[in-house]
Amino acid sequence: MPFVQSLVGRKPLARILKRTVVIFAMALSFAPIFWLLSTSFKPYDEWAIYPPVWVSQRPTLQNYRIVFAPDAAKSFAAAQGGSLDYKVAGSAWKAFVDSTIISTAATFFSVVFGTLAAYSMVRFKTGGEHSAFQFLTVRMLPPIAVVVPMVAMFSILNLSDTYVGLVLAYTAFTLPFSVWMVRSFIEDVPQELEGAAMIHGMTQLEAFIKVTLPLIRGGVLATALFVFILNWSEFLFALTLTSGGITTVTVQVAKYVSASSGTLYGVQAAMGTVSTLPVIVFGYLIQRHLVRGLTFGSVKR
Amino acid sequence: MAKTQNDGLLKAPGPSPLGPGFSLGFALMAPAQLTLLAVVLLPSLMILWLGVTAWQPTAGIPWYKAEFIWFWNFYDLYFDSRFTSAVLRTLLFVAVCVLSELLIALCLAVLFLDEWPWRKLAVSVIILPMMIVPVDAANAFFMLFSARGPINYIIAEVLGREFAYAWLADPQWALLPIMLAEIWQWTPLMFLLMLAGLMNLPENQVRAAVALGASPSRIFVKIMLPLLSPVILIALIIRSIETFKIFDPVYILTRGGPGSATESISMFMYNGAFVFFRIGYIAAAALLVLVLVVSICLPLARVLRR
Repeated sequence: MPFVQSLVGRKPLARILKRTVVIFAMALSFAPIFWLLSTSFKPYDEWAIYPPVWVSQRPTLQNYRIVFAPDAAKSFAAAQGGSLDYKVAGSAWKAFVDSTIISTAATFFSVVFGTLAAYSMVRFKTGGEHSAFQFLTVRMLPPIAVVVPMVAMFSILNLSDTYVGLVLAYTAFTLPFSVWMVRSFIEDVPQELEGAAMIHGMTQLEAFIKVTLPLIRGGVLATALFVFILNWSEFLFALTLTSGGITTVTVQVAKYVSASSGTLYGVQAAMGTVSTLPVIVFGYLIQRHLVRGLTFGSVKR
Repeated sequence: MAKTQNDGLLKAPGPSPLGPGFSLGFALMAPAQLTLLAVVLLPSLMILWLGVTAWQPTAGIPWYKAEFIWFWNFYDLYFDSRFTSAVLRTLLFVAVCVLSELLIALCLAVLFLDEWPWRKLAVSVIILPMMIVPVDAANAFFMLFSARGPINYIIAEVLGREFAYAWLADPQWALLPIMLAEIWQWTPLMFLLMLAGLMNLPENQVRAAVALGASPSRIFVKIMLPLLSPVILIALIIRSIETFKIFDPVYILTRGGPGSATESISMFMYNGAFVFFRIGYIAAAALLVLVLVVSICLPLARVLRR
């Protein structure tokens, strides 16, 4: 918007003031993340020291070793008199493997089912307007309301604490995003293209697979990354539908954080840093589409 | 004209290879619907039954044989101050967090209307919080707000005296760190929405006002804000719905404590079901929440239809 130059003013003083506010906002946004990063490299005696250490002069990888290497965790717990034993005992590898399996599988099903449903909604008007809102309602329900009966249901079906159970839950609760996001991409593809393909003898399904799908490939990929972020970050289902057999990264983080017992700041921070890293990378990869995703395609940018 | 022709073409798919009665539209819809049926609809139906029972899994009775107690759960909920204050507290969360997010985001977005060399970098840094796993963000705030943590250190430096306040242990103020964590994490989304909205405003009216010599603040209030209101409305609705479900930061920072001073609806239900094992009672609460959400949100959601 070139005309805004005249709107926001050309006075140098006003400009300096505005840039200062922007820099302040950047600092506030980054500060907690900086603290997480910085703490993850602090040796044990600097974790909770006062006055706080901003950047450790003696950086160490010990915290990351405690998270990932069972031996380092054991020797650390022993050195602390065994009181922290139960918290650092399991290594986080299991959590990363489980999270990867569950998030990937759930993302796959969510996006495939979501794409098919979105196509059906856009081109066949299946269920009319009603369908789209049905998916949206799922997003509005507080998951905890469904979790309570789900725990009872899963225990009957032998699904509690299994991959299948969590994948099922994640698939269902990310479906609204898949459907609405892919729908907004399909709507951008002119129907005439499929019509043309069908005149040349393709069936509707062929036209969808060979004409529309390649055109929205980028959008579907962005949707997949977005849904993966949601799955990876999910906490409530992972907490309630598992009982030790399966651990996701978010549950592992919560295991280290506990208001009542010993403070494991360094270990918490190390786990926090590693577990949030893939999500940040994916987030920036789909930065253009984040808004579309989080607003169900209602704001397209 | 061309559009109508193609519409007709697509709506007459010809004989299906799978025989008559087979509809491609329904077949494509089926997997998604079946998943929702299994994971959302069945449990929702189950609450209808559990909500009128006194079922506790610890008692060793299967859920379908639970004791039927009519509507006593709802009666108890009505007089349970822990539940009613959790509802009010959640509404407070929504009001404070969403409005703060909107206000900060709007002010910030206005600063991003013009171009400057490191503008892209600034946007990337400012939206960093929304990329973080919510549990990890809460974890960071847990550390920042510890009694001997960096926040208290800065306050002590500013005040020039000792300051070792245990934020999360005080029933009066423990809400603040939770709200700040939520606001910190989701203001960036609001910011992106406002920025997108401002950049897409129709230029003509603003141009005309500029040409007529209106002051920038007047242009903003009288022209840009009204034009922006649909985007603001969508942003408010989406963030309110999400904040209503608030759980992760509450769980990580306080678990609803001290006592029940910071319990949101989700936290109340989690504690009731997974700490006290009063499933029947919580199912009744879930039912109330479902009715509340559907009756409030569904009309709001129609706005999203554009």
